Amino acid sequence: MLPLEHLQTTMARSVLAIEPMVSAKMLTAGKADPLARLRIYQNNTRSSLTAVLMAVFPVTVRLVDERFFRYVASEFIRRHPPVESRLARYGAGFPRFLKTIDTLSDMPIIAETARLEWAIAEALDTASLPPRTLADYDKVDLGPSPDILLQPSLRLIVSHWSILSVWTAHQQGTVVDQHCTWTRRPERVAVWRAENSVRLVLLDRADFAFRHSLKHGFGLEHAASRANALEPNFDLVSALVRLFADGLVTNVRITVHSLSN
Amino acid sequence: MSRMFQPLAIPASAGIGLRSPHIGEMLTRRPSAGWLEVHAENYMGDGAGVEALEKLREIYPLSVHGVGLSLGSARGLDRDHLERLRRVCERFQPDLVSEHLAWSVADGAYLNDLLPLRYDEEALAIVARNVETVQGTLKRQVLIENLSAYVAFADSSVSEAEFLAELVARTGCGLLLDVNNVHVSAHNLQYDAKAFIDALPAGAIGEIHLAGHATNQVGADTVLIDDHGSRVPPVVWTLYQHAITRLGPRPTLIEWDTDVPVLDVLLGEAMWADMLTASIMFSRKQAARQAAATKSRPGSPTPFENVRTSMPVLAAFAAAKAGPVLSNALTPMEGRYDVAA
Repeated sequence: MLPLEHLQTTMARSVLAIEPMVSAKMLTAGKADPLARLRIYQNNTRSSLTAVLMAVFPVTVRLVDERFFRYVASEFIRRHPPVESRLARYGAGFPRFLKTIDTLSDMPIIAETARLEWAIAEALDTASLPPRTLADYDKVDLGPSPDILLQPSLRLIVSHWSILSVWTAHQQGTVVDQHCTWTRRPERVAVWRAENSVRLVLLDRADFAFRHSLKHGFGLEHAASRANALEPNFDLVSALVRLFADGLVTNVRITVHSLSN
Repeated sequence: MSRMFQPLAIPASAGIGLRSPHIGEMLTRRPSAGWLEVHAENYMGDGAGVEALEKLREIYPLSVHGVGLSLGSARGLDRDHLERLRRVCERFQPDLVSEHLAWSVADGAYLNDLLPLRYDEEALAIVARNVETVQGTLKRQVLIENLSAYVAFADSSVSEAEFLAELVARTGCGLLLDVNNVHVSAHNLQYDAKAFIDALPAGAIGEIHLAGHATNQVGADTVLIDDHGSRVPPVVWTLYQHAITRLGPRPTLIEWDTDVPVLDVLLGEAMWADMLTASIMFSRKQAARQAAATKSRPGSPTPFENVRTSMPVLAAFAAAKAGPVLSNALTPMEGRYDVAA
C-alpha cells in the first residue's frame, strides 16, 4: 500500500493527465469503471480552471476563437497548474505562455493584449484607497520634493502594439471590424481600479515616465526630471492636476530623498 | 486594524451562498435572508467584493467556507494560505467557519477540485493534525464537510462517516453535513445515504448544505455530478427531511455555483428549507401533545420542544393544509414541494 503522500502525488498527476496514471486496482467506484470516473476529476480540473482563464482573458478569447483558447488553456493548465488555491492569482504566466505557441508566433499582439488583461485582473483585486484632492494640501508646506503616493491598483504597461485600441474595440457593444489589421504602434497604458470597475488611459511617454517614477516611490522631483528629459515641454502642473483628477493620489508626504538615479 | 462588527449569530434556519452576480442586489434590496455564506478564497484580495462584503456583514450573519485549505494533504497545510484564512476571519468575524474533508494540493499543484481520502489511520492522523492546526490558528472550532465523490480508495479501512466521527472525537471539530454530497456519493459509490447520516455524531453537526446536482450517463454508468447548478431536487429534500427529523433545526445553506439564477430563486429555495424544518418540528409537537393527551397526563417535552424555528406561521399553515395531525411528516412535505416546483 502506497504511503498517502505518494498516493496523492500519483492521483494529482493522473488528474492533470500526466503519465503514469494511477492503477485501477487502487480505486473503486461501485459497479462503474474507476478509471472512467477518474476522468470526471480530470474534466472538473480542466474545465473549472479554463473558466477561470476565460473570465480573466475575455478579449484574448475573442481574438483567437473560443475553441482555440480552450485548447491553449488546457495545455497551460497541464504544464502550469495553479500553485495555490487563490485563483485570483492564477493566470499571471498565461500571456508569456501564449508567446510560446507556434500558431500565434506571427500575432504577438494577442499575447500583448493578454498582458493588458492580466493587469486589469490584478488591478481589480487590489485595494482602492480614498483619493485626496489638491484642496487637501492648500495650506500645507510640502517642501521641495514631496512623495506622492498613488493608488496601489495602478498598473503601467508599455507595449509595441496598440493593445488598448484592441481591448477597447472588443468591449461589449462595440462592433468589431473583422477585416481590420492591428498595427505595430507603441502604446503606454495606465490601468487602475475605480470602485467596481477599472479605468484605462493612454499616456504619452513623458506622462508615463512621470507616473512610473511616482509609483516606484522616486518622489516628485525625480519624476518631473524624468518626464522633462523625454519631453522638454512637459507641463508639470497639468500632469499633477490630471493625477488628482483621476483619483490616483492617496497621500502626499514630505520626504528627504537621497536618490542618485 | 480590522473594524469591529456587531456579533450576529447564525440562526438555525436557512441562508444562501453569496455569489458575485447578487452582491449589488443584496446591497440595495437587503432581502430577508437568514444568513450568508461566502467562499473564503474569494475574499483574500482587496477587490470591490471585499468592500461589499463588509457592508453586508453589518446586516447579515456570516459563515466563511473554505475550499482551498486541502486539509487532507499528506504534506501538511499551506501556512501562507492558512494565514490568509485567518485574516479573512479576522476581517469579517464570521459566526461559522468550515472546510472540507478532502485534499486538493499535491505535487506542487492545486487541482481546484476536492478529492477523496483513503480513509485509514494514516489519513486520520494527518487530517486530525491539520484540523488542530487550523483550530489553533483561528482560535475557534471549524466545521468539516463530507465530500461528494466519484471514486473511493480500495484500501480504505473505514467509511467516510466513521472517519468523520473519529475526527470529531480526536479534534473537537464540528461537522458540516452536505446532504446533496451524501446523496451524490451514496449513488456513485453505492451505499445507504440515510445510514451515512445516522452514523454521524448528531451533536457535532453545526450546519447543513443543500444544492442541486447533474445526472450524466456515461455508457452504462449513471453518475451524479455535484455541480451546484440547479434547484435542490426532491430526492435531496427527502434526505434533508431525514436529517432534520434526526437532528432538529440546523443552519441550512442553499448553495448554487454554476448557472447562477436570479437571487429570488435562491431565496425561494431557502424558504422551502425553512418551511420543511418548521413543518417537521410542528408535527413532532403535535405528535407529542397527542401522545400526552392519550396518556391523560401532562406530556414531557420532546428534545425539540423548546427549539425556536424561524417560521412558526408557515408551520401552522403547513399543518392546516395537511390536516389536524401529521403522523408522518415525510410524505406531505414531499408532495407540497412537487406542487410548488
